Amino acid sequence: MNTTLNISPAPHARDRWTTRFIMGVVALALLPTAVIGVLAYGLRAFWVILASVGTAVLTEFIFDKIAHKPDTWLDGSAVVTGLMLALTLSPSVPLYIPVIGSVFAIFIVKCCFGGLGKNFVNPALAARCFLLISFGKTMTMFTVDGVTAATPIGDLMAGRAVNITEMFLGTANGVIGSSAIALLAGGLVLWAMDIIHGEICFSVIGGFTLLIGLFGGQGFDPRFLAANLCGGGVIMGAFFMATDYVTSPVSRLGQLIYGLTIGVLGALFRIFGSSADSFSYSIIIGNLLVPLIDTYIIPKPFAYRKGAQNRERRKFRIPKPVVAIGIITLLAGAALSGVFTLTKDTIEEQKLAANTESYKAVCPDAVSFEPSEAAKSFIEELDGGVYGSGFGKVYINGAVVGRGADGSVVGYVISVTTAEGNDGNITLSVGISADGVVNGIAFTELNETPGMGMRCGEPEFMSQFEGKEVSKFTLVKSGAASDGEIDAITGATVTSKAVVNAVNAGVDFYANVLKGGN
Amino acid sequence: MPVKDSFRGGVHPKGLKDPQSKRPLRVYEAVGDIVLPLSQHIGKPAKPIVKKGDPVLTGQLIAEADGFISANVISSCSGKVKAIEKRRTIAGTMQECIVIENDGQFTETGSFGKREDYSGFSRDEIIARVKAAGIVGLGGAGFPTHVKLAPKEPDKIKYVIANGAECEPCLTGNDRLMRERPEEIVEGLRIILSLFPNAEGVIAVEKNKPEAIEAMRKASEGEERIRVLPLKTKYPQGGERSLISVIAGVDFPITALPADVGCIVDNVGTIYAVQRAVAFNEPLFRCVLTVSGDAVKEPANLIVRNGTSISELLEACGGVNDGKTLKKVLAGGPMMGFAFASLDVPAVKTTNGVTVFAEDACEKAEKQETACLHCGRCTTVCPQGLLPQLMADAVYIGDLERYEKKLYGLECIACGSCTYVCPAKRPLTQTFKEKKAEIMALKRLAAGGKK
Repeated sequence: MNTTLNISPAPHARDRWTTRFIMGVVALALLPTAVIGVLAYGLRAFWVILASVGTAVLTEFIFDKIAHKPDTWLDGSAVVTGLMLALTLSPSVPLYIPVIGSVFAIFIVKCCFGGLGKNFVNPALAARCFLLISFGKTMTMFTVDGVTAATPIGDLMAGRAVNITEMFLGTANGVIGSSAIALLAGGLVLWAMDIIHGEICFSVIGGFTLLIGLFGGQGFDPRFLAANLCGGGVIMGAFFMATDYVTSPVSRLGQLIYGLTIGVLGALFRIFGSSADSFSYSIIIGNLLVPLIDTYIIPKPFAYRKGAQNRERRKFRIPKPVVAIGIITLLAGAALSGVFTLTKDTIEEQKLAANTESYKAVCPDAVSFEPSEAAKSFIEELDGGVYGSGFGKVYINGAVVGRGADGSVVGYVISVTTAEGNDGNITLSVGISADGVVNGIAFTELNETPGMGMRCGEPEFMSQFEGKEVSKFTLVKSGAASDGEIDAITGATVTSKAVVNAVNAGVDFYANVLKGGN
Repeated sequence: MPVKDSFRGGVHPKGLKDPQSKRPLRVYEAVGDIVLPLSQHIGKPAKPIVKKGDPVLTGQLIAEADGFISANVISSCSGKVKAIEKRRTIAGTMQECIVIENDGQFTETGSFGKREDYSGFSRDEIIARVKAAGIVGLGGAGFPTHVKLAPKEPDKIKYVIANGAECEPCLTGNDRLMRERPEEIVEGLRIILSLFPNAEGVIAVEKNKPEAIEAMRKASEGEERIRVLPLKTKYPQGGERSLISVIAGVDFPITALPADVGCIVDNVGTIYAVQRAVAFNEPLFRCVLTVSGDAVKEPANLIVRNGTSISELLEACGGVNDGKTLKKVLAGGPMMGFAFASLDVPAVKTTNGVTVFAEDACEKAEKQETACLHCGRCTTVCPQGLLPQLMADAVYIGDLERYEKKLYGLECIACGSCTYVCPAKRPLTQTFKEKKAEIMALKRLAAGGKK
């Protein structure tokens, strides 16, 4: 027979799955999220996705050519990286952001470390963190119809109410890939297809939920837990980022430890940290732990494991390291929250004591103070915005009602901060009696130039406000004539003006909110 | 509680068992010369006891077992010894063979074929008959059966496992044998059980062979010491270690033998041969093999005389399919089969299949190879609980110490599951097989022994 037969060692059959197939499925699993993102945020989101994916593929293509590597740009991993990065970006970022991010992800994190399978952290996440650090303001800018607004996760961390349904569907303000339901569906499909390891995604979710429940301050309230899970990239992180093959451990036990670490860190950062992007960092930390985990946790073959000779009698036991890490986590969490709770009370007490002193200085008739509900709800509505108009950058921090010995209202103290000081913020308390006379002012924060702006803190200047009943003070250079005129400090006009404006805001607040509210 | 029916790990390659599974066993009588290698088993090659020119009969002993682990070679036809010389075999190498000019008469020696009453046979007599018959493990490994049946402590054997799993794709010889000769297999198992007073007989069959399970159940009805165990269809379910893991609940190191953990595993074909040897005094000169694959016209299960040329068998099955070119020919199935380059080699005792493909999956895979993704699919499927991806890394950086000690690289049974599932198409099993040979060679060298 005139044929040449192939010779090769067994096996002579191969599964249909290829690298490109897996990458394709992961990309498809992300597609619904991307589509919802585009529907929710408009064409802008589409351009961000396109820029990110396109740049990622192009970067790998160029690297392949320059470095004379085999063509790896077609294997689909660049598409997945680009897509993942785009989904973690705000739809309102300028297009250079996804471009820079993709170049960083593919060129620095992936190609420079040896390409596919060699990156030390998840490229998309690393790029996101890189962008967050480098372009902080642009990255955290979320606009809806041209108006800057807070993201649900920001609201959640600030203790404000959030709309869970919107978060779940992905129509809330946030990154392009914020549809929790689409991400969850995609993730579960990947898990069902055995593309991602359940050990990782479920231990991330589990560790996170447990810690949030225990130390989040609201117990295991389903709404609170759901809000925390739906926001801040937890689902995206657990199912798509943490499960990245290259940067997750080999063994099941290692995967459990890795997943729990990420979940626990993510929760701690969320509870005690200040950044809404903390989950990205917890995954990066998890990624960096992988070589360590893989060095120390190498499972033995079945034949060398405990009970290999008599498996029938063996019962399921939770592996020791999992128990250990669980206990350590709980202890650490408990310790942290304990310290926080303890110091929180002390800090509050000290604040209160210090405040009472300053309140008394400007509202001498009162014996006790209580927060004003009217002021509280007004400030909440203001949502951190500037108060009124014509006072410059002035913020109302709060107001207290001063009561006399008989319990009647004798006056109000309003805390005002102005950002227009010569050298930074100035915070002061304005005391106003129940009949609308300004009792006086006291500074709680004054860091102006010594000898100049600082002189605003001297009685000579401060006393000018005392005992006046006006709707507005005006600043004059010197020779104040009427009740409403205040002499400026020579050489410190800016500070003087800022203080007068702040006091005016306080008076205005009294007239319009406190008095009107009562 | 449901009966445990599977080991941990494993893969699901396409069965490819149709249409041959529907075709009854067919006897094929060799036309050309019979070529019988002296080594068709694990161990020392047999010693010829015939010379060139000697006349031989079917069933005649022509080469004797030489040493403890060795097996007799039996002539499978009548005729004249043409030569005792090196011939190419399935392994691709030249090996010492006895070549018999086949006279086409198949005249038998006459010493076998009549049913005998073996109830009075002692243990030694039974083992002597198995040894005389030249029976070796017909599952593919070819370990001399008389050695396997004589462990140091026969009383400690708890299970005798009749391996009818046939998890290898394409092969259906065991399936047909169980369907068509169930009583004989049960009788063979009974004979083996008589050597092990404390053992239970388990006939293990994958669930994709319902007819075989039914036939074996019927045949073993009323047998107190024998049960049929249907197993999940999964490769390598028919591996010795997988079966012991499922049936005895024991995982054991590669350095240990099944007998050390109280198990004897024999292929159903081997058990059938034992029955023929003990009840009919018939030596092993015929075996069942499956000719299949996309390149053969008429896939079939053949009863074939040992030493028949593979090219003859292919012709017996209608030859190569029209419009197709042979690309790869395997002795055995696609997962563990051995590729060979020349069709002019003899089928031997351990040849349980000839699989012919017009397309080579390996060639395709080599073109799709990418870097390792660390996806962990290899780890999930490894029936031994090894970490193929880390093993491959260790080989890549040349750290054989880590490979052997930390990652237990020598525990690999070369089942090929990791290579099969690898999406990056990396040659994992192949690498491990090579490294194992290298490490073993280095060890022998260090021990000052022969190379």
